[in-house]
Amino acid sequence: MTEKWQQIQGIYVHIPFCMQKCLYCDFASFAGKSGLMHQYALKVCEEIRSRAAEMKVEGRATVYFGGGTPSLLPPGDLKLIIAELRQSKLWLEPAEVTLEANPGTIDANRLSAYRRLGIDRISFGVQSLNDAELKRIGRLHTAQEALAAIASAREAGFARVSADLMYGLPGQTLTSFEQTLKFAIASGVGHLSVYGLTIEEGTPLAAAVSDGSILLPDEEECEAMYDQTIRCLEQKGFRRYEISNFAQSGQESLHNIVYWNYLPYMGFGSAACSFDGQRRRTNAEAIEDYLKGSAPSLEEIATRTGFAEAMFLGLRKTDGVDLMEIKRRFGIDACEFLAAESASSIKKGLLRLDGKKRRLSLTEHGMKFGNEIFRLFV
Amino acid sequence: MSQKFIRNFSIIAHIDHGKSTLADRLIETTGTLSKREMEEQVLDQLDLERERGITIKAQAVRISYNAKDGSTYMLNLIDTPGHVDFTYEVSRALAACEGALLVVDASQGIEAQTLANVYLALEHDLEIIPVINKIDLPGADVEKVIKEIEDVIGIDASEAVLTSAKTGVGIEDVLEAVVKRVPPPGGNADKPLKALVFDSKFDPYKGVVLYVRVMDGRIRKGMSIKMMATGKVFEVTEVGVFKPDLVNVESLDSGQVGFFAAAIKNVKDARVGDTVTDSKNPADAPLPGYRKATPMVYCGLYPAENSDYDNLRDALEKLQLNDASLVFEPETSLALGFGFRCGFLGLLHMDVIKERLEREYNLTLITTAPNVIYQVFRTDGSVEMVDNPSLFPDPTVIERVEEPFVRATIIAPKDYVGAVMELSQEKRGEYENMTFVDESRVMIHYSLPLSEIIYDYFDRLKSSTRGYASLDYELHGYRPSNLAKVDILLNGEPVDALSAIVHRDSAQRRGRQLVEKLRSLIPRQMFEIPVQAAIGNKVIARETVRAMRKDVLAKCYGGDISRKRKLLEKQKEGKKRMKQVGSVELPQEAFMAILKMD
Repeated sequence: MTEKWQQIQGIYVHIPFCMQKCLYCDFASFAGKSGLMHQYALKVCEEIRSRAAEMKVEGRATVYFGGGTPSLLPPGDLKLIIAELRQSKLWLEPAEVTLEANPGTIDANRLSAYRRLGIDRISFGVQSLNDAELKRIGRLHTAQEALAAIASAREAGFARVSADLMYGLPGQTLTSFEQTLKFAIASGVGHLSVYGLTIEEGTPLAAAVSDGSILLPDEEECEAMYDQTIRCLEQKGFRRYEISNFAQSGQESLHNIVYWNYLPYMGFGSAACSFDGQRRRTNAEAIEDYLKGSAPSLEEIATRTGFAEAMFLGLRKTDGVDLMEIKRRFGIDACEFLAAESASSIKKGLLRLDGKKRRLSLTEHGMKFGNEIFRLFV
Repeated sequence: MSQKFIRNFSIIAHIDHGKSTLADRLIETTGTLSKREMEEQVLDQLDLERERGITIKAQAVRISYNAKDGSTYMLNLIDTPGHVDFTYEVSRALAACEGALLVVDASQGIEAQTLANVYLALEHDLEIIPVINKIDLPGADVEKVIKEIEDVIGIDASEAVLTSAKTGVGIEDVLEAVVKRVPPPGGNADKPLKALVFDSKFDPYKGVVLYVRVMDGRIRKGMSIKMMATGKVFEVTEVGVFKPDLVNVESLDSGQVGFFAAAIKNVKDARVGDTVTDSKNPADAPLPGYRKATPMVYCGLYPAENSDYDNLRDALEKLQLNDASLVFEPETSLALGFGFRCGFLGLLHMDVIKERLEREYNLTLITTAPNVIYQVFRTDGSVEMVDNPSLFPDPTVIERVEEPFVRATIIAPKDYVGAVMELSQEKRGEYENMTFVDESRVMIHYSLPLSEIIYDYFDRLKSSTRGYASLDYELHGYRPSNLAKVDILLNGEPVDALSAIVHRDSAQRRGRQLVEKLRSLIPRQMFEIPVQAAIGNKVIARETVRAMRKDVLAKCYGGDISRKRKLLEKQKEGKKRMKQVGSVELPQEAFMAILKMD
C-alpha cells in the first residue's frame, strides 16, 4: 500500500512581486520588479516542465499560489503557469486551488478570470480593518477596500474566502482589534488566519521599534488580543484547527494541512520550497538568481530531524498527531521519546494524550506555550 | 660552556609596562628566532594570554648573545606574570635566577605590582637592573621615574637602562647590562646533582615535563634521578632547553636552565619546588623550596549538564597538571547537583580557569559567586573553615566568625586620595599609612577584608580614580567580623547556590540589590516567581518575576520549516545554559548576580 507520505500532496507556486514591501515583512518578496513578471512566469513553466517527473503526484493534490502578491500577476501569465501544471500532470483534480490576493489589486473582472482558471479559494492579506493601523505598517489598502474585495470575491462565486489578520500592531488596542475581528467575521469570509506580529530582524519595523519611534502594545495587551481571538471566533462558529487558523466547517485550508501533516509537496518559483519526505529543496531567493537558473539549496532530512519536524508541525493542529503513523513513518515512539517529559507536560496542562494513546495534541493552554513543547522534539 | 658565560634572569614589571614586548625584542635582536618565526608576545603560549595581552604562566627561553667584550654568553630569560594573582609564579621564576630586569613605564612610574615584584626579587638576593621603558612616549619622564625607584624602592637607579621596546631603542644596552651586572651562577658541576623544579607541564606523550634550574652537578639523558621530596626515582628520557620551543640537548650543567622528561605519569610525583638529585649519588640536602600557593578565592563549578560531571573532573585534573595552585574537591548542591568547590589565587585566576575549561574542554559550566574562606568559631569551642556560604552554620551555634584581611597597597595621583580613602572606608578598610611616591603620587596602605576586594573594590577603585590607581595586596591574617548569611528563596524554596555571606551592616541593602538583580536576570516563565532574600527566617527583600504571557511560533508553513526548526534548536541550546532549580530555570548569570550589582 502506498502511504500518503510517499506521494506529492500539494503544489506551491511562489509569486514574489509586491507593489510595496510592508514594514514588518521579511519574506521573499520584492517591490519595483513588475517588469520581470512575464519572464518569471515563463521560467516557472520551464521549472515545472523539467521537474514534473520527480515524484508521483496524488490526483487530488492541492495547488497554492502564494507570495509576494500573486494577484499582481496578470491573468494571462497565471494562465500559462496553470496550463503548464495541467500539461505536466501536476494539476489533476485538485481538492483546492488557492490564490493569495491583496485588497486593492483586484476587481470583478479579474476575480471572474480566476474562477475560469479553476481557482476556488482566495486568501486576502487584510491584516487590520483600522486605517490608521494599516498605514503604520505600510499596507496600501484601506479597511473599506478590504471589505469590498471580500464582498466582490463572494459575488464572483468564491465559496471559500479567507482573510489574514494581525494583532500586536503598532498603535493597536484591544478595542480596535475587537472591531477588526467583528468586521472580519461579518465580512462573509469562512476562514481567518490570525497572527501575532513578529518583529523580524532587519525589517524597517524592527529599526523603528528599537529606536523608540514606534510603540507596540505590551505583552499583557497582546495576550488579551490572543485570548479574545479564540473566544470571539469560536463563539461565531470559526473552529480553531491550528494555532493561528480558524475556519467554519469545511473551510479549512487543505493545502496548509499538507504542511502540518508533514506530507510531501513541490514548490516552484523563486524561494519556493519542495519536500519529498527525505530532502528539502529551496530555490534561489532573489528573482534575478532564479531567472538565471542558480542552483537550489538542498537539505537532507535525517530520520531524527524528520521526526522532530513532523512533531512540531503536527502539534500545531488542534487534532494533533497520529502517533501510530509517526511510529510507522519514523520508527520512533513519541511517548518513549519524551519519557518523563510526557507525563510532566500533561501534568502542567500543556499536552493531551487520548485514551488509546493514539493521538497527542496540545491543550488550549499548551497552544499558548507551544514552543515549550516543540523544543522537546528538536 | 663555562658557567662564567651563563646569565639567568627574569623580567618583572607591573601589568602593561611592556614586559612581554621587551622579551620579544631580546629574542628578536639576538636572532634566537628568525623574523618569520617571530610573533607578538612570543612567550605567551596560551590563546587566552594573547587575547587578553597578559602573561599567566612564566615562560623560559635560552638566548645566545655575542657581547661587546668579544665573548658569547648564554642568557636564560624567564618571563613572569605581572598580575597579583600570579605572584607565586613570579617567586618561582626568581628562585631560578641571579638577576632581574625591573621594567618601569617611563610615563606611568612605579605601580603597586612593581613594588610587590621587586620586593620578591630582593628577598631572593637578585641583582636588580632598572629598565625604564616606553621612553618614546610623549609623557615619558625618565628623571622622575629614576627618582621614584631610588626613593620608594631604595635601589640605585643612576645606571638604569633606557629603552623603547616598541621601537627597539636600548635593547643592546639591556643585553650588555645583563652580561655585565648579573652575576654568573654559582654551583659546582662536579658535586652531586641538585636541580630546582620551577615549573612543570603535562605532555600526553612525554609525561610530566619538568622545568629546572640546575644548581650543582649535571643532568643527562639516561641517568636515574630521584625527586627529593617524594623519594620517587625515574629515568631521564629527554633533556632540553627552551628556544623557546623545546629543543633536546645532551645534558644540562650546573647554572643552566632547561627541562627534562622522565616518563612521569603523575604530576604529584614531580612537584614544583622539589629538588631533583642523582639517585645513585644523591645530594645531602634539598634546596629550599617554595611556599605552596594558597587559594584565596573559592567558587562552585558545576556542569550545566549533569552528565558532564566526569568530563569536568577530568578537565580539572588535566588543568591541575599545569597549575598546582588550582585546588578542587567534589561538592553537592541541592540546586545545582554534583560539582566541585574550587580554590583560586584570585578572580583573574578563576576567570582564566573557567574560560579554559569551557574553551579547551568544551564544557558548559555554572559558576557560583566567588567567596573567601571563613573561620567559624562555634560555641562548643570547635573551629571550622567554611569555603561555601551554604555550609555556614546556624547563627545560634556561632561564637564568632573571622574573615581574611589583606594588606592593600594603592598607588594613586594625590588628587584622588580623598576618593581612595572614602571607598576604602566604605569597604570596611582600616587606614595604615600614606607616603609620597613623588610630588604628584601617593602610596596608601589599607587593611581590607578580602571579600570586599573580590566583590567590587578594584572596579570601584579604578572608576573613582579614572583608572589611575594601581592595587596590590597580600594576605594579612584573619580578623573577627560581624557577618550574616543571606539566603535567596525562589518560589519560596531556598536556593543554596545563591547564598552569600555579607557584613551585617550592609545585609539589608545587599539583599535588596540581589533580589532586584535576580528579578532582572531571571527570564519570565510560565508562572509568577517570587524572589526573596532572607536572613534566617526573616525575609528582608522581595521582588516578583512576572509570568510569561505566551510563547509560540505564530506561523509555520512549507517554506520556513527549516528556519523555524533552527530557531527552536537555538532556543533549546539557550535553555541548556539554564539550570533547572526546582520548577524555575535560572540563567548562569543569576549565580554571579551578587558580583554584578551597581
